[in-house]
Amino acid sequence: MPPAIQIEELTKDYAVGFWRKRPYRALDRLSLRIEPGEVFGFLGPNGAGKTTTLKLLMQLIFPTSGRAEILGRPVGDLQTRHRIGFLPENPSFYDYLTAEELLNYFAQLFGYDAAERRKRVTTLLDRIGLGRERRMQLRKYSKGMVQRVGIAQALLNDPEVIFLDEPMSGLDPLGRRDIRSLILDLRNQGRTIFFSSHILADAEALCSRVAVVAGGRLAAAGSLTDILAFEVRGWELVVSDLSPAALQGVTPLAQRVTEISPGRYALELGLNRSPERVLTDLIATGARLVSLNPIRDTLEDFFVRQVAEVGTGARATFAEQGRHADN
Amino acid sequence: MKRGQPAAVVAVAAICFAAALGVQMLRDARYPRGVQQTAGLLYLRSGEAIKRLSLEFEPLAADAYWIRAIQHYGGERLAQGRPRNYDLLYPLLDLTTSLDPYFSIAYRFGAIFLSEQYPGGPGRPDLAIALLEKGIQAQPTKWQYYHDIGFVHYWHMRDFRTAADWFQRAANQPGAPNWLQPLVPAMLNAGGDRASARLLWGNLLQGDQEWLRRTAARRLRQLDALDAIDQLQQIVSRFPPSPGERYSWELLIRRRVLRGIPVDPAGAPFQIDPSTGLVDVAPDSELQPMPREADHKRQ
Amino acid sequence: MRTISRVAVSVFRESVRDRVPYNLVLFAVLLISSSYLLGQLTAGQDIKIIKDLGLSATSVFGLFIAIFIGIGLVSKEVERRSIYALLAKPVSRPQFIAGKYSGLVLTLAVNVAVMTVAMYCVLGYMTWMETPEFKASWDAPGVDPALLKAILLIFVQLMLVTAVALFFSTFSTPLLSAALTLGLYIVGQFNADLRNFDQVVESRTAVWLARAVYHVVPDLSAFDVKMQVVHGLPVSNSYVALTTLYGMFYIGALLVAATFIFARRDFK
Repeated sequence: MPPAIQIEELTKDYAVGFWRKRPYRALDRLSLRIEPGEVFGFLGPNGAGKTTTLKLLMQLIFPTSGRAEILGRPVGDLQTRHRIGFLPENPSFYDYLTAEELLNYFAQLFGYDAAERRKRVTTLLDRIGLGRERRMQLRKYSKGMVQRVGIAQALLNDPEVIFLDEPMSGLDPLGRRDIRSLILDLRNQGRTIFFSSHILADAEALCSRVAVVAGGRLAAAGSLTDILAFEVRGWELVVSDLSPAALQGVTPLAQRVTEISPGRYALELGLNRSPERVLTDLIATGARLVSLNPIRDTLEDFFVRQVAEVGTGARATFAEQGRHADN
Repeated sequence: MKRGQPAAVVAVAAICFAAALGVQMLRDARYPRGVQQTAGLLYLRSGEAIKRLSLEFEPLAADAYWIRAIQHYGGERLAQGRPRNYDLLYPLLDLTTSLDPYFSIAYRFGAIFLSEQYPGGPGRPDLAIALLEKGIQAQPTKWQYYHDIGFVHYWHMRDFRTAADWFQRAANQPGAPNWLQPLVPAMLNAGGDRASARLLWGNLLQGDQEWLRRTAARRLRQLDALDAIDQLQQIVSRFPPSPGERYSWELLIRRRVLRGIPVDPAGAPFQIDPSTGLVDVAPDSELQPMPREADHKRQ
Repeated sequence: MRTISRVAVSVFRESVRDRVPYNLVLFAVLLISSSYLLGQLTAGQDIKIIKDLGLSATSVFGLFIAIFIGIGLVSKEVERRSIYALLAKPVSRPQFIAGKYSGLVLTLAVNVAVMTVAMYCVLGYMTWMETPEFKASWDAPGVDPALLKAILLIFVQLMLVTAVALFFSTFSTPLLSAALTLGLYIVGQFNADLRNFDQVVESRTAVWLARAVYHVVPDLSAFDVKMQVVHGLPVSNSYVALTTLYGMFYIGALLVAATFIFARRDFK
């Protein structure tokens, strides 16, 4: 099956400077392949090239070299636009229109007739939770409301592939929960979602695969479980009824001891300690098991490390491995 | 804003504005700003310059200058208690017609009022003719311009041969009315007399411009007044006063020669000089200034 | 085609929401109050002056709309980034340019139409109030259909100025676009002089240069037949047709150039 999105050696240089223009490489030979039905997280710090990539995919800017395809057609193809949706970062629309009018206008551009438009617009406005405000001019909307309208306009045409640039920006926790469940719904409907974010928690919760970019370069790409499975760094043992004597005994064994409440402690054990042994010993002192969990690298740790490595010019070994795994 | 504060703010603003008005009136009383009197005060003299500045709006600029010309002329004509200054009239009309060469009224207005003798006008028939010739350049077949030039030669410059020439040229233009041709022999034969004057002014009475007709009517009333003066003069000389008495209307009324004090066509009583018995139009009559008597002797 | 008209309608709607129609109110007030006040001032010239005022105001108000909305047609969308979401829809960049242009032309057409009707109403009233003898002295009838020729050319001129503004809008800032468009408008008014430079200046290169500029700069002075129409002088239909055709071709060139520039632009 052809990939939903195929990016090959995509590069973008800008000429910066006023008198003597120096080239600034915003994106350096990015190659990615996203399969249909994936929720793909495109992660990176600010200025890493995330938005540049999205703009190249939307043909808002033109690549210096390399190419990209969406649904098997080259980027910018007019017919493909009927099958994709795009939410720009910090979107801004036409102030003087209401949400209803904006969605109706965009729906007109897709060629729907009046009845079809009415249906889609109403459904989407309900889905994103815009009530009477839908008849107010956009200039009066809060940032969160504009963001929701942005998401709505990206979904007007039931797109197969949806591109979201920082979809959670401007939303309060309730809003973020809403959009998360929306994205999961879309995934369950079999759509492909490509979203860029610097909020790793969202990526952790939603994505099947991620890529990390920094400084215009791809630092790593792969499925979340693969990335994080490698990086179990220890165990977290939570016990209760720990006597002070037992505490003293176990402290040198643990990397870190945190008191949660009197008698209840969280113990971080390194990989060199067998958690079962420690647990057995503690139970013998009269402590009780609350929970035992592996400590994985969070995506954040992974992220920071990858970014730092790219910054020093080296590419993470994993990146090579990750790429082979993709192919 | 606290309660009552908006009202206070508005009050302060209103007081400031009222104060500004008061100071302005005070200043105007001390340093009056007069009307532009001399031609030197026209900021822009050059028709070409104004044309450039007007871009595509020359006709509108022409209209503005036309209005100014009328206001200027009217203002000066009606001025009391100071000498009249018509210096701006020609420049304004010149600018008007440079901006809109087809503005026929401006040429004709200029013809009449530029030639008017002081204090009715600046008394510059030469400028009137210059303006009309400019009009002919723009519209060489407009008979009215030729007629007006002829008229200026006839009435103001007493040059009957040239007048006849111009009337002939007017008669030759397409669409010329048929009362133009008879003017030519009238000029050549009997130039200076009152009958031909009546003829010319009478023609203009049928004209298409309101102010032209008014001027013609006035001129005709002046001619009537001259006729009346001649008649009265004859009566006066037939019935001189007795020695020791002075000339007066009452004398003639007492002698049953006249029924009442004779009035001119404008309604003002004629005056009679007590010592010489010369009859004339009263100085305060609306018909003043009268045309020069020497040129309008009855034949 | 339908896409272009959708974009055009959205431009029209924006101009309405931006309160552009208020200029029509101003126009009507101007014309009606002038007709009332001018009677005393002008020694019977009021019909001529109302015609001059009506035609000139139509041109000027239209010019303001053409320039001030035209310079923002593209640059405003790019600057506030509303173009990002728009170009993700099935709208090509050429369709976008065509739609924006058509929308402003539509706005101008409505504007000019309303002003024309208002002017004819005022002229009709003034004609009705006048005596027949007075009317005989007029250069042209009060309610003169020939005025429409002048209005048509004014409209084509406005379309041309809009195209110039749109062209600049595709690559420069609003301020610069306004200055350039206004500058080109002013030079275009003097174009006739450039054509006849040989009568004024000796140097052959200067004459040649002037003639070249005459052909390159849009020949706006040719669209001005207001004086002829007001004075009842004939304006031949073929002149109107040829000048309109010139305008259309020039507009075509500008739109093609604008599309070319716009199609290659990166939206940062």
